[in-house]
Amino acid sequence: MPLKIQPAVIGCAIRPVIPGRDRSLEEIMYDTTLLALADAGITIEDIDGIVVASNDQFDGRAIAVMMASSAVGGVDRDILSTPSASEHAFVLGALRVASGQHRTQLIVAWSPTEASSLSELQRLGTDPYYHRALPLDELSSHALQAAALEHAAPGARAMAEAVTAKNRRHGAIAYPNLAGHGARGLARWPITADMTTGPVTGAVAMVLASPDFVRDHASAAPAWLRGMGWATETAFLGDRNLATAPALEAAARQAYEAAGLTALDIDVAELTDASPYAELLAYEALSLAPRDRWEACLNDGTFDSGGRLPVNLSGGVLTCNPVFCTGLIRIAEIANQVRGRAGLHQRAGARIGIAQAGSGFAMQHQAAVILGKEART
Amino acid sequence: MSDRVGIIGIGQSMFRSRRDDASYPDLVREAVVLAMADARLELDAVDAVVYSLSPDAMIGIGNAERLAVDAVGGRNKRFMRLATGGTTGISSVAAAYYHVASGACDVVLTAGADKVGECGDSQTVLNKLWDTAYERALPLGTISMLAMSAVRYMKNHGMTQEDMARVVVKNRRHASLNPHAHLRKIVTIDDVMESRYISWPIKLLDCCPQSSGGAAMVLASEQYIRDNHLDAVWITGLAHCAETYWIGDRMGNNPTAEHADASALRSAFERSYKMAGITDPPKQVHVAELYSPFSNTEFHVIDAAGLCAPGASVAMMREGQFELGGWLPVNCSGGSLCTNAISVTSMARVAETALQVWGRAGAHQAKGVKVGIANGNGGDHQFFGAMVIEA
Repeated sequence: MPLKIQPAVIGCAIRPVIPGRDRSLEEIMYDTTLLALADAGITIEDIDGIVVASNDQFDGRAIAVMMASSAVGGVDRDILSTPSASEHAFVLGALRVASGQHRTQLIVAWSPTEASSLSELQRLGTDPYYHRALPLDELSSHALQAAALEHAAPGARAMAEAVTAKNRRHGAIAYPNLAGHGARGLARWPITADMTTGPVTGAVAMVLASPDFVRDHASAAPAWLRGMGWATETAFLGDRNLATAPALEAAARQAYEAAGLTALDIDVAELTDASPYAELLAYEALSLAPRDRWEACLNDGTFDSGGRLPVNLSGGVLTCNPVFCTGLIRIAEIANQVRGRAGLHQRAGARIGIAQAGSGFAMQHQAAVILGKEART
Repeated sequence: MSDRVGIIGIGQSMFRSRRDDASYPDLVREAVVLAMADARLELDAVDAVVYSLSPDAMIGIGNAERLAVDAVGGRNKRFMRLATGGTTGISSVAAAYYHVASGACDVVLTAGADKVGECGDSQTVLNKLWDTAYERALPLGTISMLAMSAVRYMKNHGMTQEDMARVVVKNRRHASLNPHAHLRKIVTIDDVMESRYISWPIKLLDCCPQSSGGAAMVLASEQYIRDNHLDAVWITGLAHCAETYWIGDRMGNNPTAEHADASALRSAFERSYKMAGITDPPKQVHVAELYSPFSNTEFHVIDAAGLCAPGASVAMMREGQFELGGWLPVNCSGGSLCTNAISVTSMARVAETALQVWGRAGAHQAKGVKVGIANGNGGDHQFFGAMVIEA
């Protein structure tokens, strides 16, 4: 169903890695908020609602949003929190603008790395009777998905290696100064260390606004929300066919239907490559390429920077992995692409882009967001 | 008026200290089944689920909402979780409202559960709310936090410990009529006064219980409700507002917000009233379910709801004006003072207000009420949500 009021992204601050420890988490939120507001050309006084997202376990706090109320300007404002996923903060912020009850929304997500082991914290998010004893963390779940896909799609390993190479090439162009930050991750068979990147501290903020606000403030280069979908699979991996992505298929249907568009209309895509196998599954679920065309598209450069449909011009999660923020960062990257503000990795003439935000064990949560240079007609 | 959002189904557990018979997903499922039956809909009709859970540590599983996706019928559907501490329940209803009001969905389920009674010691978990460097070490808990509020309210408005006990007596009497309530034993002022101190001036019977149970609500668009000939009550006003995280900034000589009061809740109610077109709350509001897990806080919440002048709630409580049968019944269900499953405690406030204006509250029904209000408070008395519900 189309939204009653069409929100636009008018500001983004993507901080895929924040090196050093000279800024506290509160200061990181504050800095990121200011950058997004500056990008939108407004001040905090223009913000009438906020949605934040973070992970209590990563933050080491019982209710992480509490600290944010001061750091992101939440005092005396309507602030909510979606700890299920960073992308859910975007979804809720968009719904709030679309409801007509809010003219603007500030969306902020962050992901620190101060905890001694993010892997152990992720394990504490598993079912205590079955999965926790495996032991399971998110990378292990991605590896189970990779193994399932290798079994179901012959040649998937070579294609995963091609995805890895593509995203590393893109990342070197997009964020050349990130070399050395989380350059290699861990291996979990069949995922190799080269296919992943270690966690880094990062943050992202976005500003959403109503058409009235965009008009009244003459906001420069808005990215209009053309369609949005989100869906979640069951937590129990044994109940899922990990070689498919039904929640993403559902999310994509919602997004394309709302936008009145098809995959043929997409100029640029950002996908959550928590593993290259996850990116392969997203090609299919978003109708960017059916399974039997993956190899051809990767070989003929379709998804490369100069190809018909560049995928992950930012270098994706493989280039920078602030774990909890990676979904919202994908959306912000696409917003900047259609705003013409993507910097070194700008796709010339990009008018419509799609972001796929996935998170959780074997990408349990999925979202698809289509943004366009023009508002819907 | 075709853009309204209605409440069409409500489900609540019989809240208890322990529910050894039910796993965490079982508890959520229990509430969902009740709410869907109340709405006379199957889960296939639900477009989206908003999950109500906070904090994770109370369940002992990080992001436990993931494990309950099937329990709420959410597989491959729109799903997200809200968390704002004790406000989470009303925040989740608000998020469900936005799903419908935006045009994205016709029918939205919001649900959650908690096992506070089985978490060991909730105050140990809740101490982790505070900043690691400054306030956590005091050590603070939600009881000591609100004891400081009580002391300031006593000084500013003349509240006594007997006044606090009157709130307990009233709410326990109300809870005795509500089969879903956790603490249903009627008590006297003497019982309260003779109970042991937990954090002066708050005594054991001034405190909420640690409750286990679930709650769920179904919201729908006005068009869907009319097309399917469903019964509903309507959310006509809603807003949230936050105060500073730092308790120290709410006390001292120049506080940013007075810790005795709930200034951000006042703002949330004012915004909700404006949206609902309510200009004179004492005349236009008929019933209230106000989140007050400790007896002293009911006074400042009544004040913040604009039902009386600041501090006047104390004298009005002495006169019995907030009793069932009184001028404006407050917490007819017994409120969070008698039942507090944190993740859904403020959803229960919304649900009970809806039942009141619907005329379906059973033995604790107030007479002739058509406009009700509800609220939730969360964090370190920091996040506030308010809602207006009308028949």
